[in-house]
Amino acid sequence: MRLMVEKTDVQSILDLTSKKLVDLGFEDYIINTERSNRSQLRFSDSQITIAKNWASMNVDIYAAKDSKTVATFFEDISKETITSTLESLLKLANALPPNQNYYGISDGPFSYPNIEFLVDPEFLDFHDQSIDKVETAIRAAENEGAKRSAGVLVWDVTETHILSSRGAEAKSNSTAFDFNIRSFVDEKSSGYGSTVGRLSSKLDFEGAGKEAGKIAKMSTGGVNGEPGKYNVIFSPKVGANIVGATPEVANPFSVEIGQSWLKDKIGEKIGPDFISVYDDALLPNGLGSKIFDDEGHPTGRSLIVEDGVLKGFIHNTSTAKKAGTTSTGNAGLVAPENSNIFFEPGEHSFEELLEITKDKPTLFITNTWYTRFTSYTDGIFSSIPRDGMFLVEKGEISQPVRELRISDTMPNIFKNIKAMSKENKQIKKWEPPSYPIFIPYILIEDINITAATN
Amino acid sequence: MTSDPYDLVEKAIDEGSKLGAKYIEARYEKLGGNVSILKNGVPELGGINRSRGIGIRVLKDGGVGFASFNEMTKEEMKIAVAFATKMAELSGKRRTKKIKFSDEEVHEAKYESKGVNGKRPFEVNPEEKMERLLSIDKIVSELQTGAVIPFRYFFMNDQTQKKLIVTNEGARIESEIDLLQLFGLIVAVNPNTGSKEQTFIQKGKAGGLEALDFWNINDYIENKAKTLGKIVTESKEAPKGTIDYVVGPNVIGICAHENTGHPSEADRILGREGAQAGESYLNQEMIGERIGSEHVTIIDDPTLEGSYGFYLYDDEGIKAGPRYLHRKGIFEEMLHNRESAAFMETQSTAAARAIGFNREPIPRMANTYLAPGSFSFEELTEDIKLGVFMNDFTEWNIDDRRYQSKYVGLEAYLIENGEIKHMVRRPVLETTTPKLWGSVDAVAKKDLLEFDAATCGKGDPMQGAPVYHGGSFMRIRNVEVR
Repeated sequence: MRLMVEKTDVQSILDLTSKKLVDLGFEDYIINTERSNRSQLRFSDSQITIAKNWASMNVDIYAAKDSKTVATFFEDISKETITSTLESLLKLANALPPNQNYYGISDGPFSYPNIEFLVDPEFLDFHDQSIDKVETAIRAAENEGAKRSAGVLVWDVTETHILSSRGAEAKSNSTAFDFNIRSFVDEKSSGYGSTVGRLSSKLDFEGAGKEAGKIAKMSTGGVNGEPGKYNVIFSPKVGANIVGATPEVANPFSVEIGQSWLKDKIGEKIGPDFISVYDDALLPNGLGSKIFDDEGHPTGRSLIVEDGVLKGFIHNTSTAKKAGTTSTGNAGLVAPENSNIFFEPGEHSFEELLEITKDKPTLFITNTWYTRFTSYTDGIFSSIPRDGMFLVEKGEISQPVRELRISDTMPNIFKNIKAMSKENKQIKKWEPPSYPIFIPYILIEDINITAATN
Repeated sequence: MTSDPYDLVEKAIDEGSKLGAKYIEARYEKLGGNVSILKNGVPELGGINRSRGIGIRVLKDGGVGFASFNEMTKEEMKIAVAFATKMAELSGKRRTKKIKFSDEEVHEAKYESKGVNGKRPFEVNPEEKMERLLSIDKIVSELQTGAVIPFRYFFMNDQTQKKLIVTNEGARIESEIDLLQLFGLIVAVNPNTGSKEQTFIQKGKAGGLEALDFWNINDYIENKAKTLGKIVTESKEAPKGTIDYVVGPNVIGICAHENTGHPSEADRILGREGAQAGESYLNQEMIGERIGSEHVTIIDDPTLEGSYGFYLYDDEGIKAGPRYLHRKGIFEEMLHNRESAAFMETQSTAAARAIGFNREPIPRMANTYLAPGSFSFEELTEDIKLGVFMNDFTEWNIDDRRYQSKYVGLEAYLIENGEIKHMVRRPVLETTTPKLWGSVDAVAKKDLLEFDAATCGKGDPMQGAPVYHGGSFMRIRNVEVR
């Protein structure tokens, strides 16, 4: 199978680029290079449909001159292109008005944290196991009753370098694995399973296939559900998409462009006492774990929600200085970016969640997609469950139901969380959230469910 | 040592043939783009993108392999071809249903869609681009509507893309396309009640900066902002019960895209997108079945000049033309690439699109619209006793079989006894695809036809494809609103 082949010397690109930026008179600059080799197997109808490989080398540059902020992204890394583009970048900077939101980049030098399990020592052996791993999951789904499965396996190795005018200079290596499977018994009866992480040894392909097949089988014989108010139990996949949407907009950039319902909410109680949420770049095996952010600032763990109270936002240097605080190590090139979002798990088993809600109409929702907002600033949204969805009656999962839509608000969702399960799972999906989220099963009360009219 | 990319494309075809590929295509793409970002009147960023690379796709032994690279060396090319060929072979040998590509006519062609002289993306200086954005922001921030607009975010992206596709069957297609895109999010707030309403703005078309004038962008943005202001200050509760709807071009467009375009994609019907964008309520046996009323003819046509989804040959080198997804309410054609066409023993409909050199070509929409009818706007509304005129939408979603959809109105008005009355707030059209198209009893005439730009999501990794969607106006009878 394919190995990474060194072609362009990264150090020569860093040297060329930094010298040129200094010569052109940029006061601040950050150069990020990323060389990666990524492979993918896609499958459907229980067979591989395509095998892919991407060999990629790219360079991101963020620079400032007289508080005019510019950036460039190269996948064309010839020296001629780099040189001419940086000259164009200077012309661009000279043409722009100053960015009043720019307060500089992070001052180094820095020391960086150690993170466990960023690199899989067995990565190179994985290529030859990849098709078998996919087939293991497909067979596990079939053993549960699935007739066919579709999905994707991605594995990636990346080397990142950063160099800034303020003393950041570092290199990081990482590997990543992402597997998901959707199994079908018939066209309307389906289930989803996934397993992701930094180390192949920590992935459970059989478990993912089994989960997908089991839910698909359970969802056969589904009937159209009735709209109304329900208690809901969200699987980690649904929780990541919907409950996770709140910490995902806990940053000043989202607030300032009107894409967050957390404006002026810091210090307010937005959920029950047992909810605490972090942005945590240091989690072992976390797909968003990394030692430095896009300014070269060391990453860390930032408190977003503590005991139900919104405690703070993630920041880069500029948003932090504007807010009178310090960077949380979450710089992206334009806006702060999450690493891993981590929900502290609760104290209940999944069965206890079923028991707690036994006296109220309840839905167990295993997957959802297409979450869209009528109003980000008020958090008004709807989302469409897909795959198995079930009524919960007398503390047990019962009738599979279909054709319903979650239509409520994000403040309600967070406020009405009733209980959470003991263990959380790392979720990274094709659909949002954009970042990995570690989240448990969550029971939420009184959620509005709608249905299409015929 | 760096090689000429055009030479690498030719050599990749030779290399694949040597390795026994039944089919090999090499696609070189070079993209130069510029971006300007404005947040609440502050220039947040000016950006430059420079990208180039080659994608290789191989069919061998009933399997398909794909590899891409952006370091232009012979060694990288050889590794990519070897990977794609080997993985096609390995995966193909395990398949019980072998992948084939449909036999198609081979073309050699060159085409382009460039901005007007002096207005092409790389010809317009960055000051002018940022000034255009600043003038848009000024219009919104200074508008007197009774509402305030404290959240304003604008993002303009222009690009020139050069592409060369070569296959071992003899296809050779070269193209050069300029594209301009403008995105925005603005939120209006009623200062007395705190009531808020948001709108996303997306404009896009093939061409250069002249597109801003084509769109009358300042007037367009001013109207959008004024409408938002009216919604938060004047609108009343929307009616419920069984009512009629008249919907505008942008609403028709999203319905044509979501309720018809997506379920007509043959790869979804075959289950290839099962774990991502989903499958379809349609299937091959349903071709010829009635889906909507006789007023519903939905066409997807990549060849519309200057359109956001414009192309003349798809990314497998097949010559494009209009596809009649529904004709007079009957399910007629699917969106096929060569792989899905071979599975269904038919021909490609030239729908293969890849959004970059590092993506595989899969069946996609381009410009999807409801064919105009013969009614005037007044004729659509004159006999409605109680209804809603939904001219634009805000939130929407649809299940992954594309059967039950929800569209929430943005600019919407009450219709009472044939007259358009006051604005109504967030009316909901939540129904099934057959009910939606089956209830259409009139479509407005051609001179009211309009298109809007959108980004269509599908594939893994995600491929956000530029598309148009549109229509004129249509009437939907007897919709139950809870």
